[in-house]
Amino acid sequence: MTTQDSQAAAPRGSFLDRHYFLLRRLHSLTGIVPIGVFLVVHLLTNSSILWGGVAERHHAGGGMTDAGVAYFVREVRWINEQVPHLLLIETTLWVSILFHSVLGVYYATTGRSNTDRYRYQGNWRYRLQRISGYVGVAFILYHVGTLRWGWTFLVPGGTEWSYPFAASTLAAALRGSMDGITVGGVAVSLFYFAAVGLLVFHFANGLWTAAITWGLTVSVSAQKRWGYACAVLGAGLLAMGWGSVIGYVMLDPKRARVVEMSLDPGHQTGAAEKASLEGRREAGVARESEGM
Amino acid sequence: MTTTQARQSSARRPVPGRTIRLRILRCDGPGKPSRWETFSIKVESGANIISCLQQVAANPVTADGRATTPVVWDSGCLEEVCGACTMVINGKVRQSCSCLVDEYAPGEGDQITLEPMSKFPVVRDLWVDRSRLFHALRRVKAWVPIDGTYHLGHGPRESPDAQATRYVLSECMSCGCCLEACPQYNVEPDASAWDTSFIGAHAISQARLFNMHPTGRQLAGERLEALAGPGGVNDCGNAQNCVKVCPKHIPLTESIAAIGRQSTVHAIASWFARG
Repeated sequence: MTTQDSQAAAPRGSFLDRHYFLLRRLHSLTGIVPIGVFLVVHLLTNSSILWGGVAERHHAGGGMTDAGVAYFVREVRWINEQVPHLLLIETTLWVSILFHSVLGVYYATTGRSNTDRYRYQGNWRYRLQRISGYVGVAFILYHVGTLRWGWTFLVPGGTEWSYPFAASTLAAALRGSMDGITVGGVAVSLFYFAAVGLLVFHFANGLWTAAITWGLTVSVSAQKRWGYACAVLGAGLLAMGWGSVIGYVMLDPKRARVVEMSLDPGHQTGAAEKASLEGRREAGVARESEGM
Repeated sequence: MTTTQARQSSARRPVPGRTIRLRILRCDGPGKPSRWETFSIKVESGANIISCLQQVAANPVTADGRATTPVVWDSGCLEEVCGACTMVINGKVRQSCSCLVDEYAPGEGDQITLEPMSKFPVVRDLWVDRSRLFHALRRVKAWVPIDGTYHLGHGPRESPDAQATRYVLSECMSCGCCLEACPQYNVEPDASAWDTSFIGAHAISQARLFNMHPTGRQLAGERLEALAGPGGVNDCGNAQNCVKVCPKHIPLTESIAAIGRQSTVHAIASWFARG
């Protein structure tokens, strides 16, 4: 085939071929926004079981663990009850994750790892990026399927997660029962531990390679600098992610349930929520008119 | 102590007059099965892989005394500037002419393993067909367009900075090391797939070289279009093995990022400006 032929052939071909550049760059972009941004927020919320106690220390009498549970459950309730456009946010995330996964797996199949011969650190990261992608897809499906879509047959002990009892049902799902840690619970917890670590790596390393893909870091020294920044971000996220998994595995679901029951139940039902909002709004209006 | 002295003192001192073993992956022709053969070589002082292969050619008898055919290899300049004698030595790709036996097999009975590059079709033994590599250079129009019917005069002036950057890129000898080590570059004997399979670091770097040239820049858009499609710069997986194995120390990963940047700008600009 001559050069002229190949150029004439360029605009034709399948949909994937014609929009190749756009799809590749969208694959890169979706990994950062919205998926990467969501990961940061998600791990921040989850890890509040650890640091939430610090924020709640003046209100809770039951110690740091109970205060952490209270903080985390309030956060989860706030997300489920008050964050606007939740359906839109979730749909955007799902479309992005589906797109990123399908294209990512397809792209990954075009390479053949050779870390046995070329044992460079970068080559290992290349390989780990693909492994973490595969594991990540399986984990996200399991994670959301069991905790959000009610696939309780995949949860040892069959715990069904519900957001008003976010901490206790999550701890029970990880431990395998409401009472103690079971063998199935250990397996699920280890899967969480490994997958969270791999996904954090996938994000941090992907952030590093994206800067090369888009041409932000051109020089070797710029790539190195950005690499350190990504490593620091990754280490922070890893601490949050692993800390969360360990935190919920160590949490006694029954004790967490007591804390959850003691929280303001007003947020649990839509009607009560509306009434309380209405009440606050009226009070606000009254205050304003008083001020004038 | 200089670094050279340090390296020499830490390395094993080569034994004079020793015999070493060359283990070679052989193949009689395209599509034929491969087999291993081992040869015993009496090492001369200052020997390289090529001089050892010349000994095998002069006396094609394996270490266990069986007569065989001479081992075939490709070579040209014998001073690491043509790239023809590139092969896989002890599992890593490099030029065989610059591979000194004193470094690789300093002791009596030491063994060196030779394989043809795995990413190109084998012609015979250690000789491979690198046509796809040169096809990739045509894909990105790795030249300066100066053909015409009249004298174009002197080219535009170039800054010393740009000269210095371009000089390093111009040292590429199209040897194929970057492709052999690349996990995204895989053997593709079917030439009809060469326009859509991964083009490789060398061609991306050459596109950068000629996009920087004051006259070569005229084809910059065409080069970027060629690199935007399937098998272009986006197929890079950032393993960065290419820059590690490049015998000319060309900053291939910088070239990939630079072309990534040019592609980003080009794509956005043409999306808004395209008629």
